[in-house]
Amino acid sequence: MSHPGGGDWEEASPERLYVITGGRSSTSAPVELDLVTLIVARSRPKPGMQPEHAAIIELCQSPLSVAEVSAYTGLPVSVVTVLLGDLLADNRVVARAPVPPARLPDRALIEAVIDGLQKL
Amino acid sequence: MIREESSPGSGSPRSAAAFGWLLPAALTAVATAITVLLVPTPARVPVAVVGAVAAVAVAAIGAVAARRGRVIDSLRRAVAERDSVLAHQASQTAHLAGTLLPDVVERLRKGEFPEDVLASLNAPEAHHAVVRTVVDAVVAEEDLRESAQRAFVNIARRVQAIVHQQAQELREMEDRHGKSPDVFGDLLRLDHGTALIGRLADSIAVLGGTRPGRQWSRAVPLYSVMRGAMSRIIDYQRVELHSVSEVAVTGPAVEPLIHALAELLDNATRYSPPQTKVHLTAVDVQSGIAVEIEDGGVSMSEEARKRAERMLRQAQQGIDLNDLGETPRLGLAVVGRLAQVYGFQVSLRPSAYGGVRAVLVVPQDLITTTATATGLAHGIGAASVPRTTLPPEAVQAAPAPQTTVPPRTPAPTRRPTGPVASEPDPVVVERTPNGLPQRRRKAPAVAPAAPTTPASSTPNAAPEQEPTPQVQPGMWLAAFQSGLSGESTDASQGNKQP
Repeated sequence: MSHPGGGDWEEASPERLYVITGGRSSTSAPVELDLVTLIVARSRPKPGMQPEHAAIIELCQSPLSVAEVSAYTGLPVSVVTVLLGDLLADNRVVARAPVPPARLPDRALIEAVIDGLQKL
Repeated sequence: MIREESSPGSGSPRSAAAFGWLLPAALTAVATAITVLLVPTPARVPVAVVGAVAAVAVAAIGAVAARRGRVIDSLRRAVAERDSVLAHQASQTAHLAGTLLPDVVERLRKGEFPEDVLASLNAPEAHHAVVRTVVDAVVAEEDLRESAQRAFVNIARRVQAIVHQQAQELREMEDRHGKSPDVFGDLLRLDHGTALIGRLADSIAVLGGTRPGRQWSRAVPLYSVMRGAMSRIIDYQRVELHSVSEVAVTGPAVEPLIHALAELLDNATRYSPPQTKVHLTAVDVQSGIAVEIEDGGVSMSEEARKRAERMLRQAQQGIDLNDLGETPRLGLAVVGRLAQVYGFQVSLRPSAYGGVRAVLVVPQDLITTTATATGLAHGIGAASVPRTTLPPEAVQAAPAPQTTVPPRTPAPTRRPTGPVASEPDPVVVERTPNGLPQRRRKAPAVAPAAPTTPASSTPNAAPEQEPTPQVQPGMWLAAFQSGLSGESTDASQGNKQP
């Protein structure tokens, strides 16, 4: 039988993304990761690592943003974020925000001020 | 009378028997004659008359008796004849039932043509007719079964096509919504469910006597194959993938192997407690690669193990779809079937963990090197699907900051077994057709080296030096650009059309 779009299908990989992330879709990383967070590896890849972890560490010998890592590995950002979360938890990479966003006051603080003003 | 009396002694036995009936009449006549001589003269005439009448009567009786005797004889002979004919027929019928028909049915099962079977038949005409009727019935039955099987396979193929389409679209969506973890998580779940449906359709196709799902033209690394198998079972999170030899599986064997491993993994996870892990490893053996699946579940009793292995064997001899309703472990039938077609050796043994240890040996001729392999594990970047959802400018911009990256480490050394000549220069900076600089990464993106080391590396190869240069982000970019510029546009367009 014919497969619709069969030729293209062949180029894909037999492994689905959920196997790579172990079924997780969001990270438990201690650090907030966004697209422009820079990632630097702390070490060389160790044997026995998951291939994707090793690939990220290899890529991140020099600082790379999360978006770049995602593009190079061909994996969606969420997958990369999950993988980076694992690496961060293991202390294999360091993440740092390139430009700290302007510090806005806490929302709670603003609300408290509004409440205070209304009470006047 | 004396002449007649003497004749039995001198004549043939036949004539003696024929005239034996005259003997009583002759005796009566003789007795009458003697009596006539002895009685006084006046009584002679009456006595002679009575004697003559008696002799005639006895002769008549004798004649009747003799005739009846002959009739009885002929009847007896006829009965004996019929008995023997009957016995012959009985034995022939027994032959027909006990030898001929089973033989004919067996030959038909083996796929001989009904005409040939009938022509080579050595049996009486009547039996020929019986056999012909039976052959017709069997052929009609087989045709029915075959068409039913074809219908199954047909439906399975359609489901497979839909599932493939869906999986592809899901992958596109995963790429598109990769930035929002919630949507992404839902997509992953959908993706997983789709893969499970696909496996079921594959199973039906295999049991219908065809090959499972899709075809792979290129070799796929064993690691990817094993993760592919993991991705098709429900409890993939419980599977612990251990070190894997750095080899690839030839294209035609990829899908069967994935499917067989998925079925074995499914059995392992299904029949072990949910909190236990299932261990998945692959090691080199003399005859190829042995993939081991070990669970910590309930041990199979010797009897259950024998039953399972019998089912595997039976499946290798061919499966009757009608029998499957009774076998709860559909998977083993599928595995047996695949093993038979592709030459895998499957065995189930008690595990040291207490559960079952399934070993599947992939023969050497289905194994190749990873050089030409595709798949995520060994080809991140190079082998992944170009993602047309990204704006090309963004991707092109990505490598730009790296143009000045200096060589960081000494040139990588390959494994001692590898061809040293093919070692690339890590500092080479190339330019793409668009003039963008292209950095060569000196180490593989990957894992190939990583998972193998414990199993197969030689002692003098330090793990850090092991990576083989296989994947270069720049190459991926080039592929992406060529894809955009139209070299493979037909493929990606075909992809999008429903």
